[in-house]
Amino acid sequence: MGTRSALGERWRHLDKSSWVWLLAIVVLLFLVVNPLFRLLLVSLQQPDSGAFTFANYLAAYGRSRYVDALGNSLVLGVSAASLCVAFGVPMAWALSRTDMPAKGLIWVSILGTFVIPPYLGAVGWILLAGPNAGWLNRFVVEVTGAQSGPFNIYSMPGLVLVVACYSFPYVFVFTKSALDLVSSEMEDAASVLGASNLRTTFSITLPLALPAILGAFILVFLEAIALFGSPALLALPGRFHVVTTQLWQFFEHPPRVGVAAAYAMPLLLITILLFWLQRRITHRKGYVALTGKGGERRPVPLGRWKWPMLAYCLAVCTLSFFMPMVVILQAALAKAWGRGFSLDNLTLNNLYFTVFENNLTQSATLNTFTYAGAASIIAIALALCVAYIVNRQLVGPRLGNVLSFLTMAPFVIPGIVLAIGFYAAYTNPPLLLYGTAWILILAFATRFLPIAFANSNAAIRSINPELEDAVRTLGGTRFTAIRRVVAPLLKRSLAGAFILVFIPATRELSAAIFLYSINTQVLSVLLFDKSDEGNFEMLASIGLILVLITVALILVGFRLMGRDFMLRRTAA
Amino acid sequence: MKRRTIGRLLALAAAAGIAAAPALAQMPAWETELYEAAKKEKEFTVYTAHYNTEEAANLCSAFEKKYPGVKCNFVRTTAQVAFQRFQQDLQANKPVASLFSSTDVGHYVDLKKRGMLMTYKPNNQAKMVDSLRQYNDPDGTYTVTAAALMLITYNTSLVPEKDAPKNWPDLLDPKWKGKVSIGHPAFSGYVGTWVVLMRKLYGWDYFEKLEKNQPQIGRSVNDTVTMLNAKERWVAAGPEATTLLSRDKGNPLGVIYPTDGSLLMVSPSGIPKNAPAPNAAKLYLEFLLDKEAAETQVKSHSLSVIKGIKPAPGAKALEEIKVVRPTEDEIVKGIPEVKEKFRDTFGI
Repeated sequence: MGTRSALGERWRHLDKSSWVWLLAIVVLLFLVVNPLFRLLLVSLQQPDSGAFTFANYLAAYGRSRYVDALGNSLVLGVSAASLCVAFGVPMAWALSRTDMPAKGLIWVSILGTFVIPPYLGAVGWILLAGPNAGWLNRFVVEVTGAQSGPFNIYSMPGLVLVVACYSFPYVFVFTKSALDLVSSEMEDAASVLGASNLRTTFSITLPLALPAILGAFILVFLEAIALFGSPALLALPGRFHVVTTQLWQFFEHPPRVGVAAAYAMPLLLITILLFWLQRRITHRKGYVALTGKGGERRPVPLGRWKWPMLAYCLAVCTLSFFMPMVVILQAALAKAWGRGFSLDNLTLNNLYFTVFENNLTQSATLNTFTYAGAASIIAIALALCVAYIVNRQLVGPRLGNVLSFLTMAPFVIPGIVLAIGFYAAYTNPPLLLYGTAWILILAFATRFLPIAFANSNAAIRSINPELEDAVRTLGGTRFTAIRRVVAPLLKRSLAGAFILVFIPATRELSAAIFLYSINTQVLSVLLFDKSDEGNFEMLASIGLILVLITVALILVGFRLMGRDFMLRRTAA
Repeated sequence: MKRRTIGRLLALAAAAGIAAAPALAQMPAWETELYEAAKKEKEFTVYTAHYNTEEAANLCSAFEKKYPGVKCNFVRTTAQVAFQRFQQDLQANKPVASLFSSTDVGHYVDLKKRGMLMTYKPNNQAKMVDSLRQYNDPDGTYTVTAAALMLITYNTSLVPEKDAPKNWPDLLDPKWKGKVSIGHPAFSGYVGTWVVLMRKLYGWDYFEKLEKNQPQIGRSVNDTVTMLNAKERWVAAGPEATTLLSRDKGNPLGVIYPTDGSLLMVSPSGIPKNAPAPNAAKLYLEFLLDKEAAETQVKSHSLSVIKGIKPAPGAKALEEIKVVRPTEDEIVKGIPEVKEKFRDTFGI
């Protein structure tokens, strides 16, 4: 009896939440460590015998042409990420903090941009800025009478532009979520001391969003390195290689999976380096924006700067969305897109066929959205747990660092290589998932876990722990604190995180192509087939439908969640 | 839509055995036997890189119509992805494919060496075009079931037919400077074989000269279709089938059968030893060498591998075209070599 009550006493005092944290760590091991570990093994094995060897690393890095590709990828990553910040941060500020008009239009355009599969966007840009026949070049030739147009999309700057166009929404959503939380009082303090609006923005508002911007920068950098579609279209004709185009060649017959794995491994070192940098920059500064002590948010009046700001936003959206969309529409509605735009070339047959007659598209659409939805929920739940553990120091700082690194690691491994890891991890007992929908869902969840984590991390950092301490002082458990205080505060950031995981998951190709089976076909694979078949009319139709459905789903989703589509709170 | 409904009704009727009965009566004994065995297996899956998705789907439904009660599934993808997936299935001991149809002959040489292919010489081999039969495996582990051509393609709104290149060296003419489009041998088996052929016919010098014309290098051979349609390039070393399919829609494209020979691409199919439905696979292999399949294929501008099938309008039948093809040995050994040389010459 005595022991039992003592046990009961201990049970009562034990922080039950620790089980959840333990579980989160186990799931992380299962999702991330297992595939990465298998990948490491593959990179150190001889293909036939499985014996230990460093030969794969020698093959991957023993030739200058392979190393050059890595250099090009780094240039691409840094330039694209910088351009994304230049695109995304001002727009996020304008939509979050100012009274700029037409915010709804800009937001929908950004959403649309994000949904367009980068491959399709890249083809759109070839038609716009191809050196010989690009519409923009022909326009310039027409107007100025020059010999040839000035733009060449088949170049490093061209590739950087296209990659940035389809990645800047990450920076936008991250920054906007952070800025949405900054209260006007902090800005008022600066204003009272005589600072101008501009100065307040640069010395108060934006620095508070710095962790979010840095997180997004890293994310975009890693995404630019891991992309395959756009580099394959633009870099090869531009006569240079990047990591992913080089990787693809290791899969040509005879496939050298071990060499591919070895070639991708140093990318993990780059990720570690980036984390270290991020920590150095944001070290020991406070970024708590949500204190629970009031916090009114008033838009900054832009005055006559309203219009230039709107013009900038529209300019970016024109580059990323409107112009490529015109090209996609033209192709989707054309009998033969090579004939250009004319009335007798218009047809709705491509769209009709895609929506109503092609059974494959129908089931693939359903699968795509189900898997992406399930993957987003898993990724966000796990990311939140890890972000909470790390930020509230429920584990030691070292373990915290390892956890954050693990959560971010999957992003940098190009999907085509990661698929090998998944395949190896989930075809061996105890987990036989190969051929099922789960392998796709888990692969998507793992691949985009970093996005969810970067987002959750920034969100949790911005919440003052005092809010939870108040609950605990009043006798509430950690769970009560999380349920009643943290979760409601996070809702808005989570909506952003959901978009950022859901959309990339609907277009994930490189892992899906190796893991899907007859009954688990997804749209991205169909899109890839159409591009492989040179069928641009159908490719554009499927792309257009993907854009329409996804944007509609998100808008309706937010309505249902009780927020308007600007992610503002509808009720205080 | 209506046609589909009728099609479904027909399929239903067929499934009920109404249509099947007379067909069954005409079948030779070996076919009846295979069909009965296949019906017990119920369904099978083919991994194929031979056709586009629509054509693969059409072939499957034509098969199901001819042989009711046997379900045909397909995974259509690129040759290298198909091969990688086949290897994965093998390692996972979860065989999916009962028929493996790659466009890369090297895959079969490799699989055969590892003893992973079943021996089966189709009865319908006799129906094949004579010139194609030599590409079947003499040991019967794989059989050619698809053929296609790589030739000269051009945009007809930019280049009049009389000015179009007539043979492969014509692409080296300085008048095409900045106007030629090609694929990359490291990304496309078609282009790899083409580069081997050009080297065999004209020496590596051909590519040194081609580089002076600043060709645009895409990834797959089908990228040339996109480049011609976009008017970014005027002439190309491209695929016959995809180009003609795009032209059928009204795109301004044309093909030239080079006087020094179109490159013949042959794509075999083989039955893996671990095939979950070997009899259905055999039946499908026979089907691919028969009239119904050939008629479905020529509609998509694939070449018929059997004799006596009329090609779709605008294309020529295999018997009428001068074709060239390096030997299997030259291809398997040559592709890795030319990938390296290609990179030396073009820097990519």
